[in-house]
Amino acid sequence: MLLQAILLMVIIGMIAFCGVKGMQKDPLAVGADIGVVVQEDNVMTRLALGYVENMESVSELCRFVQVSETEGRRMLEQGDIVALVVMPEQLVEGVMDGRNPSVDIIFPKNAQLEAMLFRELTESGAGFLRVAQAQIYGAADTAVEFGLTDELSVMEAEIDSYNLAFALDRLSIYDEETVSPTGRLSVVQHYVSSGIVLFLLLAGMAAYPVMQPGRAALRKQLARAGIGEPWQNICRWLCGLLYLLCLAGVICLLLWGLRLCAPEAAQRLSELLTGGRHRALAAGIRAGMLLAVLAAASAFHTLAYSVSQNRTGGILLIFLFSVTAVYLSGGFVPSALLPVPFRTIGDALPTAWLMRVCGSLLTGDGNGMGSCVVRLCLCTATFYATACALEYFRDRRRDGAD
Amino acid sequence: MITVTGISSSYGKRQILKGASFTAGKGECIGIVGANGCGKSTFLSILAGVLRPDAGTVLYGGRAAWRRSAAGGRGNRSGRMRCDRELIRRMTGYVPQENPLMPELSVYDNLRLWYPDKEELLHELKDGFLGVLGIGEFVTERAGKLSGGMKKRVSIGIAMAGMPPVLLMDEPGAALDLVCKEDIRKYLQLYLARHGTVVIATHEEGELSLCDKLYVMKNGVLSQIDRNLRGEALTGLF
Repeated sequence: MLLQAILLMVIIGMIAFCGVKGMQKDPLAVGADIGVVVQEDNVMTRLALGYVENMESVSELCRFVQVSETEGRRMLEQGDIVALVVMPEQLVEGVMDGRNPSVDIIFPKNAQLEAMLFRELTESGAGFLRVAQAQIYGAADTAVEFGLTDELSVMEAEIDSYNLAFALDRLSIYDEETVSPTGRLSVVQHYVSSGIVLFLLLAGMAAYPVMQPGRAALRKQLARAGIGEPWQNICRWLCGLLYLLCLAGVICLLLWGLRLCAPEAAQRLSELLTGGRHRALAAGIRAGMLLAVLAAASAFHTLAYSVSQNRTGGILLIFLFSVTAVYLSGGFVPSALLPVPFRTIGDALPTAWLMRVCGSLLTGDGNGMGSCVVRLCLCTATFYATACALEYFRDRRRDGAD
Repeated sequence: MITVTGISSSYGKRQILKGASFTAGKGECIGIVGANGCGKSTFLSILAGVLRPDAGTVLYGGRAAWRRSAAGGRGNRSGRMRCDRELIRRMTGYVPQENPLMPELSVYDNLRLWYPDKEELLHELKDGFLGVLGIGEFVTERAGKLSGGMKKRVSIGIAMAGMPPVLLMDEPGAALDLVCKEDIRKYLQLYLARHGTVVIATHEEGELSLCDKLYVMKNGVLSQIDRNLRGEALTGLF
């Protein structure tokens, strides 16, 4: 049974891997076509156009299509292009000699997303150029006023270098914040933590021999011996907890063995899974969090077998609930990419808290985990109490029928 | 040995037992008959301390096993039914309708759960009641692989742990072959001969023949009837 659970985990892992690959695709693939009308076809113009076209910020968004003005306007009306750029004659020469001939950019009336993006891009570029020009003209006037015309070229070079160093390199000015659908965890950490949760829940499918509710007759005899229904259920829950602790112990032993046999590989694996920060939490806190996770999983198994009363029903219930709940909680596809109703339900499920605590155990980031652990403890108590109530009322009904 | 007075029990709105009473002395066998679902198992469960009655008293050897505690609390409400579990455990052995065995364990391990003293268990298997039941022959077998008759014998063996003076049996012969029924009957005869008291819910002719008193349970009421009634004359009373 454990082997089947592991096989199932492998299959689910493959699905998750495919999900990751799908998720890593570029989310913004606008690919807007821009029409460009070049009044004169000379080398300088082609060079300038090629330069702009190959700028990283432009090439991610736009593709330039060289068209005639008439054809371009027709394509603009039909929506084949999102903007039409009309470049005047002697553009480059005009820029170099300071005449600065204007470039006409024509947008459709009802601009779509691509057109709006291009418009923003153009306006921000024009704004930057305006500021740069004001700096250059201001510096030139100041130099003339103070008789420093010899230093003018040096000043302009300085202004250019400052602009290139700071204004264009936005990353050095603004803090970069990477937004990921997996939140604070890396993609690997997210799937490892959801995999751990799924494994722990599915491992209950093999726990029937030690977690079965027992026959009514056996329960009666135990009750006569002073071991009442609550104690019997606590024993079942403890058996499940011990079983999960043994599984966790086996996994730890395997990792320890890997550390002994291949320390470099173990180190790389550790860095990949934990980011090297897992020791940020005190050992006692980590042990407590792990215990809360295992206790909640064991309580879930206790309840599942109390509801089903037999092996097949219990296995089916554990499988269906685990897979559905882990999916809704973002275990297969991060919840940020799920429909809003699914996300709302998933966030309220214990599997979401289990995944958060497991992720925290990996990364060592215990921020906000206190409430999650408390919720898990409440969840454990609720599962346990429900299992006790179910057994009690079932026995009473059976006795009432005899 | 047993004095039961005015035992009542209900489940939800349904009244299952209405003031059931009887007495039984040492070496006496009490038979309880009745239709399925009439409350026989509930009655035996109460005598065995598994279920709580709503009212009544049960005395074993003159000591109260079930009694109502003194009235108290607001509004002078009547007290709660109190149970002396230790007394019930010491005085009674209970054989429920289903077997209380763990199928994954061997017969020996199942017995060990209820016989804390290993020496006592080995002695019982060799020369005691467990030997009489023939459990020694299959003590190493896994409980899940036993036949219905073997399981029933082990169930009786479990009930006899500590040699209680009262044996409560819920349809012990149900779904067993004739040989098994006869073995159980012989065992009960031996137990009664050693001054044990048996309360048995049954429909089996062989077991009914052991009974010194016969009671019929109908609509929750326990009534004594002629112990020699059999066949349609008996079932007509259900």
